[in-house]
Amino acid sequence: MLVDRRTLLTRGPTPPRTSSPAADVWLRVHRAAMACRFEVLLSGEDRRHTAAAHDALREADRLDAAWSIYRDDSAVSILNRDAADAPVRVEAELFALLARAADLWRRTDGAFDVTTTPLSRCWGFVAREGRVPADTEIEAARAVAGLHHLTLDAAARTVHFRVRGVELNLGAIGKGAAVDAIAARLARRGVRHALVSAAGSSARAIGGRDGGFAVDVTSPLVDRPLARLRLRGGALGTSGIGVQSIVRDGRRFGHVIDPRTGWPATGVVSATVIAADAATADALSTAMLIGGPALAERYCAAHPDTLVILTTEDRRTVRFGASRAALVEALCT
Amino acid sequence: MHLTPEEQATGRRNFLRAVAGVPVLAGLGAASLARGPIAGGPVRIGYIGVGGEGRVLLGGTDPAYAHVVAMADINPAQLALADAVLEKGGHGKATHYAEWREMIQKEALEGIVIATPLWMHTEITIACLEAGLHVLCEKMMAWDIEGCERMRATARRTGKVLEIGYQRNYNTVYQAAHEGIVKAGVLGDVFMARLAWHRNGNWRRTGDPPAANYDPSKWGYPTWEHLLNWRLYKKYSRGLLAELASHQVNVSNWFFQAEPEAVIGTGGIYRFKDGREVDDHIYATFEYPGGRSAVFSTVESNAFERNYEVFYGTRGTLLLQGESEAYLFEEGAATPAAARPTGVEVQPKAGGPALSASESRAADAAGRAATGSAAGVNLDRLAAYRAEVSGFCSAVRTGAPLLCGPDRAIGSAIACITAVDAVAGKTRLPIRVGAAAQS
Repeated sequence: MLVDRRTLLTRGPTPPRTSSPAADVWLRVHRAAMACRFEVLLSGEDRRHTAAAHDALREADRLDAAWSIYRDDSAVSILNRDAADAPVRVEAELFALLARAADLWRRTDGAFDVTTTPLSRCWGFVAREGRVPADTEIEAARAVAGLHHLTLDAAARTVHFRVRGVELNLGAIGKGAAVDAIAARLARRGVRHALVSAAGSSARAIGGRDGGFAVDVTSPLVDRPLARLRLRGGALGTSGIGVQSIVRDGRRFGHVIDPRTGWPATGVVSATVIAADAATADALSTAMLIGGPALAERYCAAHPDTLVILTTEDRRTVRFGASRAALVEALCT
Repeated sequence: MHLTPEEQATGRRNFLRAVAGVPVLAGLGAASLARGPIAGGPVRIGYIGVGGEGRVLLGGTDPAYAHVVAMADINPAQLALADAVLEKGGHGKATHYAEWREMIQKEALEGIVIATPLWMHTEITIACLEAGLHVLCEKMMAWDIEGCERMRATARRTGKVLEIGYQRNYNTVYQAAHEGIVKAGVLGDVFMARLAWHRNGNWRRTGDPPAANYDPSKWGYPTWEHLLNWRLYKKYSRGLLAELASHQVNVSNWFFQAEPEAVIGTGGIYRFKDGREVDDHIYATFEYPGGRSAVFSTVESNAFERNYEVFYGTRGTLLLQGESEAYLFEEGAATPAAARPTGVEVQPKAGGPALSASESRAADAAGRAATGSAAGVNLDRLAAYRAEVSGFCSAVRTGAPLLCGPDRAIGSAIACITAVDAVAGKTRLPIRVGAAAQS
C-alpha cells in the first residue's frame, strides 16, 4: 500500500537537519614553491573560490623568484653578492620585509636573525651534514652574522652590508610573508573563509567557520599532538629542532642556531606562535625556539595578543600569553 | 521572515525550478538541496539488486535520509551480504524478496534504488514509476536508446523523480573543477578532452552459486555463469562503454555543456578470447559541436594510466584522476616554475584537523601528508555516493530537480550506445542530435 505525500509529511519524526554534503569536505588547492607545499584550504561550500585560490597561489612563485637564495638572479642573491660593496636599492616589498625582520630582531633581543647562514654552514646544516665545528670556526662565522651589520635606508630604499661576508636568508620569515601575500589576494577576491599555509609550519586564517579552523600542533619527535587549537582570523608559525639535527655526547643539537652564542638552540623542541600575521608568527616561532620560556614570557608581556606554545626537551608543553585569534582546546602536558 | 517547512520547500522548489534550466547552477542546486528531507522523517526506500554496486549505494545510505524497508535480489547470497552492510550503517533489518514485483506490491515504499544488470533497468524503472515510486537507477540509463526514452517519458508523465546514478555529479572535486575552473574560464578554449579507463584484468567474476541446485533460468540467465558474469554478455550488457565510458562521457557533456554529434570507434576482443561477447579493448572519439572532441580509451591489458579525465584548453590543462584528485597545469608558462601544477584535493572533514602544523616539511612529505591514505580516497568516493542517495531522498520530499535526471543522463547513454555500434563496425556514426534537449 502506498502512502500519499500529505500523510508522509505529517507523520514521524523530522530527521536532524544536516549540513550539505559539500560542507563535509575540505578542498585543498596546492602548489609547490619555496621547496615546500603551499596550500589554500577551502570548505566544500566555498568551492566557487577554487580559481581565486589557484590565482593567489601564484604569489608564492613570484616571491620565491624574488627571495630565493638558490637562484642567482633573485633580489636576495643580488644583495648577498653586491650589498657589501655599496648600498643596493630594492623593491618596496623586499625592503618592508627586511625592515620587519630588523624590527623583530630588536624585539626578540637578537634571537630572530636573518643573517645566520654562515653559522648554519659551519655547523654543516647548509650541506645537510651536521658536525660540531671548532671554536675558531664558530667565532669566524659569528663575526659576520647579525643584523647590526645591516644598514637599511628607508628614504633611499637601499640595503648595505657594513662587513663583507654577511648573508641574508629569509627562510625563517619568507614563507610566512608569502602566506600573508596569498591571503591578501584571496581577501581582495572576496574570499571570506580560507586557511592558507606553507610547509605545514606557517598558516594564516581568513575568517573560519564554526569557531575557526582546527589545527593540531605536532612534532616529528613526539608521537602525539602537542596542542589542539582553533584558529580564526589570525596566523600561526611553528618551528622545531626535529628533522635536521646532530647528536654529540648524547646531546641533540637542532639545526636552528642561536646567533647570540653561535651554538644550536637547545631546551625547546617545538615552538608555536599565534600572531596577527604569518610573517611575524613565522619569525617569532624561530625566535622562541632559541629564546625559550624566558623570551616567551618577556615577549608576551610586552606584546599583548601574542600566544606562544613551547614544548621543552622533557616533553612538557606550556603556553604563554593569549590571542583573540586562537582558542587553545587542548594542551599535551 | 518566518516560513513554515512547507513554504520553505515550495520556495526552494520554485527557486530551483527557475534555475534548473541554467546548467551552471546545477552545483548550487546540489549544495542547497541536499540538506536532508525537510519533514516526514526518512524516506521509505527499497533496493532492487544488492550486488557489488547496490551494496556500495547501500553503504552510502544515511539512516537520517532513508529508511531501507526492503531489498530484492534473485541471489539470496547477495541479500545476506547486504544485511551486513545495513547493520554496519546503523540501519534496522530490511525484508528480503527474490521478486522485485512482489516487493513493490507488498511494501509501503516511496522510493526505489535500482542496481540490477543493465538489461533490466527499463522494465523495472517503468514499473516502479507507474506504481507511484520515485527511482534512483544505477547507470547506464538503459540497454538501448528506446529504453532510455521510455524511462524519461514515464518519469515525465508520472511526475516522479528519476535520477541516474552518475556519482561524479555529486563529487565535490568535480563540482569544484567545474565551477572554479571550467566555468571560470581558467582553461581558455577547450578543444580536446581525454577520457581513459585502463585496467589489467579479465573483468570476469568467479564464485559459487548460492546453492548447488540454484537455477537462475527463470530470470533470463540460462546458467549461473550468465548471471555472475552478465557484464560479458551482449544480451545483458553493453560492455565497457556502458560500465566505464558512460561515466566519463557524462563528465565531458557536463564540462562541455553539450552532447556529442558523432562517434568514431574501433576495438575488439583482443586479449581474452574466453567466450565473452563484449570487447576488452575500445577506442572511441566523441565529436562535440564547435570542433571539440573527447577521446576515450579503455584497455584490459595495462593499468598504468588507471582512470582519469583531462580537459586540454588554450590556457590550461585540467586533470581529474581516480575520482578524488584534480590538477591544473598552466599552458605556455613563462618559466618552468610557473608550469608547476596547482592541485586540488578533496578530503573528508571528519578525517582530522584542518591543518597539522609542525616545523617545516619538504614539498614531497607535505604532499603525502595532505593527500591522505588510500582509505581517505575511498572515503571521498563514498561521500559522493552518500550525497547521491541523500540528494535523491531530498528530491523525493521536495520534488526539486536533481543533478543527473533523465535529460542529462540520456545524453551520455545515447552517445555510448551509439559508440557500441561504431566500435562493432569500426566506423563513424552520427549520434542523435539534441537528445537531451527534447522536451
